[in-house]
Amino acid sequence: MSVQTYASTTQPAIFKRSPMDTVKKAVLYILLSAAALALLFPLIFSLSLSLQGPTLAPNLVPDFSNLDWDAFPRAFRQAPLLGRWILNSFVVSIAVTLGQLITSALAAYALSNLRFKGKNLFFFLFLGTLMIPFEATLIPNYLTIVGLNWKDSYLGLVTPFLASGFGIFLLRQYFLTIPRELYEAAILDGCGHFRYLWSILLPLSRPALGTLAVYAFLNTYNQYYWPLLVTDSPEWRTTQVGITAFKSSEVTLYNMQMAGTLIVMIPTLVLLVIGQKQLVQGLTSGAVKG
Amino acid sequence: MAKSKSESPAMKLATAQEAVGARVTVAARAGVRKELWLALLYMAPALLLFLAFTYVPFFRSIWLSLNVTDPTGEISRFNGIDYYARVLNLDGSGRSEYLKSILTTVYFSLMVVPAGIVVAVALAVMAAVKLRGISLFRTIFTSTVAISVASASVIWALIYNPGIKMTAWLVDLLGLKTQGVLLDPATALPAVAFMTIWSNLGFNFIIVLAGIQAIPQDFYDSSRIDGASGWTTFRYITLPLLTPTLMFLVIITTINAFQAFTQFNVLIANEGPNGSTNVMVFSLFNAFFINNRYGFASAIAVVLFVVLLVLSLVQFKLIERRVHYQ
Repeated sequence: MSVQTYASTTQPAIFKRSPMDTVKKAVLYILLSAAALALLFPLIFSLSLSLQGPTLAPNLVPDFSNLDWDAFPRAFRQAPLLGRWILNSFVVSIAVTLGQLITSALAAYALSNLRFKGKNLFFFLFLGTLMIPFEATLIPNYLTIVGLNWKDSYLGLVTPFLASGFGIFLLRQYFLTIPRELYEAAILDGCGHFRYLWSILLPLSRPALGTLAVYAFLNTYNQYYWPLLVTDSPEWRTTQVGITAFKSSEVTLYNMQMAGTLIVMIPTLVLLVIGQKQLVQGLTSGAVKG
Repeated sequence: MAKSKSESPAMKLATAQEAVGARVTVAARAGVRKELWLALLYMAPALLLFLAFTYVPFFRSIWLSLNVTDPTGEISRFNGIDYYARVLNLDGSGRSEYLKSILTTVYFSLMVVPAGIVVAVALAVMAAVKLRGISLFRTIFTSTVAISVASASVIWALIYNPGIKMTAWLVDLLGLKTQGVLLDPATALPAVAFMTIWSNLGFNFIIVLAGIQAIPQDFYDSSRIDGASGWTTFRYITLPLLTPTLMFLVIITTINAFQAFTQFNVLIANEGPNGSTNVMVFSLFNAFFINNRYGFASAIAVVLFVVLLVLSLVQFKLIERRVHYQ
């Protein structure tokens, strides 16, 4: 069943801003629920598969009287490195997030508060990085990492992503909304630049920092291409590469595959629930603002 | 700085900010020279990282694409634009697999982009209504944004697996070949596209919902007073006011579709049946990582860069126009 089929029938019910009558409301709830169910199908599918034990012919609906939750702990035993992959992903994602926060805050401070010649040029240099796609730097970066002997190391996984053009732009825009009088008063009172940034500007910029943090963490955790290139030995894989290798390895049991996949999905799903506001802000900045 | 036609929106923004900040104290103006060094210090980490991992590699990619390399990535001889001629099938060899790969990428985008946006608009229009419990639906519709393409691909590989009887009824219903949709040249690319639409929905939904919520309520109020039907309101108010958002989404999802790699590598892991899923990024990966032809792979990368650059420039133009309208 395709989700598209809901499109044509929904609009009439919606735009009546008068109190909606019960029938229309009910229809809308049914449509919303059907869409939600269709959208969640792959997740329901994987949960259903992981609860049916090591069968090769699972059913769509599991036997509820005989659910086999053992696949989740067994996934860790069958793939002893699963825990290590999760650790790797966390180390890399946290390091990249912190790195982007630091480098972006520093650069954005210079671009928003300091006065110097050539500011536009530097601003362009930072924004220009957004125009260069990953693929256009991929091969030389790979050769660099190999040359530095950084394959199979956190250095190789983290370093290329420590600066972010998006992060600099986001924080610069936010810093500019903070009244300049505050800066002038602080500097007049003998407050140094770094102290002003650290103890005044950054605490005031928590929303923007939160947006950047959630966005950076999610993107890094979900990375696949780069970790695939720069990790050879299994213990250096991140979760994303690990679970896909899981798929093609000897562990072909469907329940384990699905349990492993669901386990590595948990951190980002939790992040989505607690950081939804920040995430939405991150994704929409630049999209709907004029 | 002088006003010129080539000024980008970002630049305009920057100069506007400059003008606002012009109410600057004499003391601060005297410090301009001193602050250059301070600014360089603050920007140094980002500048050095971008130099090392973005700008230098970018120009090195272009240089590599003009050379033949050995399997360690060392340049062995200058090759001119031969690789580009090969990619674009201008070398007279008649072997058009790379040109076909570009076309496959375009087909893939055409499958993913319009459908993905239509579904997102439908979901967002429903989810924009203020109802009890609507935030739960919004979270569900947003959820695929948190699910990595790699995880999604592992799940969809099983959904598409013909050995699993739970989806067998669907295969029968649609009259698909039982060897599996991913092994049939006619269905492999649409199957990957379908999974990609699902994977993109969360992002598309967020953008469209934000766009709808940015439309002032007054428009709807006056349309209701005029007695407009739901469809009329959608057609003449929501849709036109949503157009800039949708244009943005068209560009950004096209760029993403051109860069899609993970799902091809996990679901198909080769050029696909009869090369039917050999998109540009995958042929790049093949040349680069499997065959270690760094020079040639760089040429594909540069062609991809040019395509994406054109799309980005179109996007900048659109943003600029939107600013003028408001």
